[in-house]
Amino acid sequence: MTVTTAPEAALGVLPRADGSAKYSHAGYTVTASVNGPIEAQRRDEHPYEAHVDVIVRPAAGVGGTRERHLESILQSSLTQIVLVKNFPRSLVQIVLQVEDAPENDYVNTKLVQASLNFAIMPALFQTSVLALLSAGVPMRATATATAVAIVSRDGTKTSVVDPSPRDVEIARSVHVLAFTSHDELLLAESEGDFTVQEWNHVYETAKDVCCRPVPTKEGMEMILDDEHTNGPDLRHFLRSTMENKVASDLHWK
Amino acid sequence: MTTTERPIVLPGDTIPPHLIPSSTTKPLRLGPGLRHVPPSDIVPVVAGQLITNHQKNSMWVEYNNNRYLPTPGDLIIAQITRSGPDFYYCLLSPYTPHATLPHLSFESATKKTRPQLLPGSLVYARVILANKHMDPEIECVSQSTGKSDGLGELKGGMVFDVSLQFARRLLMSRSREEGKVEVLELLGEEGLAFEIAVGRNGKIWVGGEDVKVVVAVGRALRETDEAGLGVEEQRRLVRRLVKGMK
Repeated sequence: MTVTTAPEAALGVLPRADGSAKYSHAGYTVTASVNGPIEAQRRDEHPYEAHVDVIVRPAAGVGGTRERHLESILQSSLTQIVLVKNFPRSLVQIVLQVEDAPENDYVNTKLVQASLNFAIMPALFQTSVLALLSAGVPMRATATATAVAIVSRDGTKTSVVDPSPRDVEIARSVHVLAFTSHDELLLAESEGDFTVQEWNHVYETAKDVCCRPVPTKEGMEMILDDEHTNGPDLRHFLRSTMENKVASDLHWK
Repeated sequence: MTTTERPIVLPGDTIPPHLIPSSTTKPLRLGPGLRHVPPSDIVPVVAGQLITNHQKNSMWVEYNNNRYLPTPGDLIIAQITRSGPDFYYCLLSPYTPHATLPHLSFESATKKTRPQLLPGSLVYARVILANKHMDPEIECVSQSTGKSDGLGELKGGMVFDVSLQFARRLLMSRSREEGKVEVLELLGEEGLAFEIAVGRNGKIWVGGEDVKVVVAVGRALRETDEAGLGVEEQRRLVRRLVKGMK
């Protein structure tokens, strides 16, 4: 059973890139670099918008159709939060390198042929958001993402946040959802057999993980609900990571 | 939490209305990092510290990054890549479209007596046109007065890359007190002879007779920027560099 640890992030790990981030959570470690807005190739130029180019490189091998699929999903959601209209005919280039993925304890060491793996999507998404913030690329809002799998355990169906590879293998359906900082749904991808009621439950679970409101300072910080035990508080993590970064940038004041 | 008068904001955050300066006489001026969403929303677009100036009725977000976006009025260091019929084509930052510098945009230049700049040479120039639809344009002479005011070719020396915020700190009118950058004054007090030109695009040109001096000044600036040195650490750095030069 893989242990879910708290997410960790480091910004500015690649000094030659405009912005970079290294993020690890639930066994996945991804490093992202962002360059932009820079000049775009003729074929990628759009007269009124910037082109957001995402490249995903797997931990081993050169990457094939699965990586292209992940790239197209990430591109369509990141284009919605970056202010692309401010930089016509430009390019914002995001390169994601997967460094570590959790091992599936139930599979022998032969390299498993990759099928669609949604469990890595939240890590890829979160790393690109952190790298975009580190580069100072103007954005409409920040975003957080999470994966939820519906697994049959002991005869009942339960939803598992941040599923392990074993969970993904035996799950009936796996879903990835991302929400902006304005609580809007940005990305919803699903795979497997599920009913509309199951999807609604997944939506509520993911919204609880991604959109937890920041506790207000009113005397004491109380842990109000015991239901908020599903996964880490991603928004709070994002905000505190960026606050540390800004504070260290402005150390001289 | 730290002072909420200068909160750290993320893109898309709501700014509390009491922080927005309200003056009935002057219009509100938005600096970098903020955008106006009609009718009355002001939204940050980068992660940084929100600063408001109630006297000038302006507000902006203080943040650090490495990719320069041209703004009219900025003093920058550009490198000439090639010469066209009427313009020099210059680069302000790598992988960006070229900026144009007119051949006659130098002090007292005519078609016969203009400076001939070779590809690779550096100029200290001012951005005159920069908008999202057009390539930027720069000049080496002030349009109104016809004087160069220190703009023009930078001969010899070497250019060092720094972050944009460090360049802004150096360009402050009182960089020692407000920007907390003392290395230049300290190196000058040690008797080193050099001159400096700071470009807002994150480039600092250091010129001098002695190569060792130029390299020492450049290293001092880069280390202060990259390691985030405070005033006391800068003093130790200067002492170490000067000792290494002897």
